[in-house]
Amino acid sequence: MGEKDIYRHDVIVIGGGLAGLRAAVEACDCGADTAVVSKVYPLRSHSVAAQGGINAALGNSPAAKDDTWEKHAFDTIKGSVYLADQDAVEVLCREAPETVLELEHWGTVFSRNKEGRIAQRPFGGAGVPRTCYAADRTGHNLLNTLFEQANSRGIKFYNEYFVTSLVVDEEICRGCITLDLQSGKVYGFASNSLILATGGYGMIYDHSTNSLINTADGMALACNAGAQLKDMEFVQFHPTTLYGSNILISEGARGEGAYLVNSEGDRFMARFAPQANELAPRDIVARSIMKEIEAGLGFDGGYVHLDLRHLGAEKIKERLPGIRQIAMDFADLDPVEVPIPVQPGQHYSMGGIDVGIDGETGVKGLYAVGECACISVHGANRLGGNSLLDTLVFGKKVGKKACNERNGEHVSAVKDVMSREINRLQGLLNNKGEGFATLMSEMKKTMFDRFGIFRDEDSMNEGLRSLNDLGKRYKQIVVKGSGKVFNQSLVRVLELGYMLDIAEVVAVSAIERKESRGSHFRTDFPDRSDDQYLKHTLIKTDKGQKRSIDFSPVKLGLFPVKGDGY
Amino acid sequence: MIVRIHRDKGERYDDYNVEISDGMTVLELLFRIQENIDQTLAFRYSCRGAICGSCAVLANGRPVLACKTPLSRVTDLKNGGYVSLPSKTELPAGGILLEPAPKLPVIRDLIVDWEPFFGEYRKLVPVLKENNNHPEKEHLVGKDESRELEKYTNCILCALCWSVCPVVNEVNGYPGPAALAKLFRFYLDPREPNGIKRLSLADNEAGWWACDFYTNCRKVCPKGVPPNAAIGRARKLLKNEEVGK
Repeated sequence: MGEKDIYRHDVIVIGGGLAGLRAAVEACDCGADTAVVSKVYPLRSHSVAAQGGINAALGNSPAAKDDTWEKHAFDTIKGSVYLADQDAVEVLCREAPETVLELEHWGTVFSRNKEGRIAQRPFGGAGVPRTCYAADRTGHNLLNTLFEQANSRGIKFYNEYFVTSLVVDEEICRGCITLDLQSGKVYGFASNSLILATGGYGMIYDHSTNSLINTADGMALACNAGAQLKDMEFVQFHPTTLYGSNILISEGARGEGAYLVNSEGDRFMARFAPQANELAPRDIVARSIMKEIEAGLGFDGGYVHLDLRHLGAEKIKERLPGIRQIAMDFADLDPVEVPIPVQPGQHYSMGGIDVGIDGETGVKGLYAVGECACISVHGANRLGGNSLLDTLVFGKKVGKKACNERNGEHVSAVKDVMSREINRLQGLLNNKGEGFATLMSEMKKTMFDRFGIFRDEDSMNEGLRSLNDLGKRYKQIVVKGSGKVFNQSLVRVLELGYMLDIAEVVAVSAIERKESRGSHFRTDFPDRSDDQYLKHTLIKTDKGQKRSIDFSPVKLGLFPVKGDGY
Repeated sequence: MIVRIHRDKGERYDDYNVEISDGMTVLELLFRIQENIDQTLAFRYSCRGAICGSCAVLANGRPVLACKTPLSRVTDLKNGGYVSLPSKTELPAGGILLEPAPKLPVIRDLIVDWEPFFGEYRKLVPVLKENNNHPEKEHLVGKDESRELEKYTNCILCALCWSVCPVVNEVNGYPGPAALAKLFRFYLDPREPNGIKRLSLADNEAGWWACDFYTNCRKVCPKGVPPNAAIGRARKLLKNEEVGK
C-alpha cells in the first residue's frame, strides 16, 4: 500500500445515476477536479429504468395552461401527507421548469406535442398534465444525456469500484476506501468533499421493482460514519409491477388512461378514490389493490389486471412502447390484446440520509443527494414524476456546494482506514459460517411480510427479532471467493451487510411511528395523528454501533396542514 | 439440465446440473447457480428489465441479453432468424452453453472488458453541441423528428452489436455499430447546428466506409436500433455532399 494507491480529487461523487452525474457536472463546471466512483458503469445505474416522466409546471398541455409551481408544490405536499419540508418543496417545484429545459438544451430527446413543445401527461396525485416524458423511457434518455455531458467535460470515472468504507477523521469526511472489482485491489480516495448518490435499498425487500444493484450502500456508509437517517419507515410500494418478476409498469400507463380491474371485471378504484380513480397517489392505489386481493377479488396467485386495450394499438405503441415490450418479453403477452397482470411491489425510499437543501449531512465534507438522501421533498409518499426531478434539482445544488468546500486533503487519515479495510476484507475470506444466499432471502421475506404495505406492532417486533438474529449470523458469513478478480461473492456479502444495517433502521423507524401516514400504514393505528407525529423520525448510530431515535419538526409555511382525501 | 459455462479467461468450462423452473431466464439461471451451487461464478447484471445493458452473453452461440431471454428460446433449435457464433467448446446435449460476448477481452467467466467499446464511443464525441441563447425556452421539435431520433436514442450500449460485427477488430479503429449510430443520432437532431460536419468525424476508410452491411447489428439489437440504416444514410449524405462541392 503506497501513495500511488490513493487517488486525490477535490470532489468525489459515489454513484453514477442521475443525481450523481448532475452533481459531478455542476462541481466540474464550478472548477473542481471531480471524479465519479461507481460500482457499475454509470449507464447501468437504476435511473436508467425510470419510465414515466419528470414533473414541471411548463403548462404545455391545453389542460394545464394555468399550471404554476405553486400548484405543483401543493400537489407534492398533499401527496406527502404534509410530511415534506415545504421550503425544500418550494425549491423543487420553482426550479423544475428550468431544470427540464436545461436537460432539453443538453440534448435529451423528449416526446413532443402538436406544437413541437415537450409533451406532458397526467400522473397520480397531480391536478393537471404536468409530467414531461420521453415515451416510457424518460430515465434512459435523461441518463444518457447526463453521461454525454459528463464525458464531454472530461470528468474522471472510476467504474466498477465498490466503496467499502468512508474515511471520517476529526468529524470531517476525508474520502473513502474502495475495492477495484477488476483487479481485486483496494484503493483509497482522498477528497475535499464527498457526495453520496448511491440510490435506494430495494433489494432488502422481496418483490421490488429496483435494479439488483440497489443495496442501500450509501445509506449504510453514511449511517456508519455518524450521519443521521430520516423518515426511513416510509417505503413506497408501486401499485403496478408485473406479476412474478415485479418489473415496473409505469404510472404513465394509468396516466394515458389504463384501467385497474379486479377478477369480476370491476374498476375498483372508484370505490377507494371516487374522484382521482386510478390516478390517486401510489400509496392509496397500492393499498386498494391489496384490499381487493385480500377480499378474494384478485386473480389466483395474487394480482389484478391493468387494462390498456381501450387505448388502442396506436396510442400504446406510441406512448407506451417500453411497457408493451416489457409485457411481451417478460410475461409473453401483448397489452394491445390482453390485460397485464400486476401487483404492488417495493419501489422507492422516501426516507434517506438526513440532509439540508444543499445536500449537507451532519458530517462536515459529506453530502448526499437523490434517493439515498432525504431533504425531504417526498414526505410520507412520493408523487410519480418527482424523483427524477429531485435528482436533477438537488444534484445541481449539491455539486455547487461541495465544490466550494475547502477541508484540505488528509491522505494519512485515508491510509489508516485503508489498512484497516484491507484487514477486514481479508478476515471475511477466512470466516467459517453460512453463505450469503439464505441470509439474504430470509431478510427479503422478513421485510416484505413484516414491514410491507400493512404493518402492526406484533408482526414488526417479530420481524425486528428476525433481523437481529440475521445480523448475528452475518458476523460468521463465509465468502467462497476464488481469486481477486471480480470476486462477486465478496461484493454480495458486503452488500448484504449494508442491507442488514438499513433493514434494521427501517424496522426500528416503522415500529416507532404509531400512526398511519402515506406509505406507512399500521392496522393497529389506522389513523393519521398530526398532534403526535407531524414530525420527522431520525435514527443515529454512534461509534459503538448503538442506535438512537430522535425527532425533528416538519417545516411548514406554504400551505396549511389539511386532510388527504382524493 | 446441464449448463456449461466459460470460466476464468477460458482455461476451462464447468458443467452444472441445474434444476430449471418454468419460464426461467438465462439471468435467473445464473443466479440460481451462483446462490445455490457455485458462489465463485461471476457475471454482470443490474436492472433485469432489458434497459441497463449489463448482461450481454452468448447462449448456445446466440448473442442475447441474459435478463430477457427465456431458456426455452435458447434451446429451441427450430427458432430461426438468429445470428449464431461459433463456440470454443461443444454444446452439452439438450443443455445450455454460456460464454462471454465475443470481440472484447475477457476479464473473468462471463465478464468482458467494455473499455474498447466505450473508448470508440467517446472518440466520436457523442454530445449535443447546440448554440442557443435562449435557455429559458425549449427548442421546438416536430413529433416525427422526435420519433425518428428515438430509433437511435433507444440504444442501451450493451455492446451486443460490437460482438457480432465482422468488421470490428478486423479494421483497425472501426468505431463499431453503436458508436456510429450514436454519431448519426446527433447529426439527425434538429437542435444540432453542425449538420453534415458532424458526420465527417467518421468520414474515413475505418469509419462509415468500413461497414460491409452484414446487418448483424440490427438482427441482434435487443432494442430494435438499426445501426446499418444509420451507416447507409450517412454514406449517402456524404456522397451527395462530395458531388455538390
